[in-house]
Amino acid sequence: MGVEAIVIYILAAILFIVSVIKDKEKTKQGVKKGVRSFLKLMPVLVPLFVIIGVLLAVVTPELIGRVLGEESGLIGMISGLFVGSVTFMPPFVAFPLGRELLDSGAAHPQVAGFLVTLMSVGVVYFAAESRYFSKKSAFYRNLISFGGAMIVIMIVWVIYT
Amino acid sequence: MKQRLKQNRFAIIAFALIGVLGIVDYTLVPVALNNTLDQIISMLLIVPPIFLLIGLFDAWVPRQTVIALMGNDSGVRGMALAFLLGAFSAGPIIAAFPLALVMIKKGARYANVMFFLMVWSSLKLPIVFFQITQLGFSFAMLINTIMFVVFIAGALLSEKVFNDDDYQRFEEKAANEG
Repeated sequence: MGVEAIVIYILAAILFIVSVIKDKEKTKQGVKKGVRSFLKLMPVLVPLFVIIGVLLAVVTPELIGRVLGEESGLIGMISGLFVGSVTFMPPFVAFPLGRELLDSGAAHPQVAGFLVTLMSVGVVYFAAESRYFSKKSAFYRNLISFGGAMIVIMIVWVIYT
Repeated sequence: MKQRLKQNRFAIIAFALIGVLGIVDYTLVPVALNNTLDQIISMLLIVPPIFLLIGLFDAWVPRQTVIALMGNDSGVRGMALAFLLGAFSAGPIIAAFPLALVMIKKGARYANVMFFLMVWSSLKLPIVFFQITQLGFSFAMLINTIMFVVFIAGALLSEKVFNDDDYQRFEEKAANEG
């Protein structure tokens, strides 16, 4: 567990204690509400993690290396954008992978586009996001992030080549 | 029946994927299921305090406060607060959705909620620090600065894309589910 998780636990614990001291009834309401939104998430969550498990098994770092590798050019950039959009990878795997790709000769724009869509575009989350907001909203947020990744690729391309 | 199928189509897709994977290369099935288990465990480790915070936020913070801090007239300060909330967070974006819904329910401006979600997805501070150690300061910050600008522009533009009907639907959803 990372430092940020520990901080969140401490923060939640402090606020919970303060809340109990100040108003037991309100705390009960809050906890109930938290549990309820968590349970509501579960039916989406389990299949989501099955899909993520399959993705992680199929889309290995080697595969990504082949797609984005040295002299992959424009095709590499475009595939990077799409692979990043549909895959899921925790940041502590993704960024070292980015470093490794750069070290083994992949160009900056490909790696940048892949990492940006990986973080900001979540096709696997689409069903959950539309359930909370709407399809239109989920589509729009992902579209903006995808567009941002394209801008990143262009600017990085200009600066790093 | 049709209704049930539709409700569970996500689960059906997920298990169909496992089936396809088994046909293509059965040795990958245990790998995939193991990944799934790992993901669920790491999710269960970080998510409980987030949901506790969401619940306490819902119970304690009055609507007027949220409207004043992040509502339609909150301007730059509302955006700054949305940024801070997204940046000082942890956990997968899926935990941000219910929080965003509570914000909408309490009267936060839609552009601010959108900005919050975008920042949560890729500009969380712990992740940015890690990114800098891996990619180097200038490359990481070039990417992050561009995305920061894109997110602000995109969030503000979202108000042009969504009409009153959309907002009403969000608010109804937020009132029912949030």
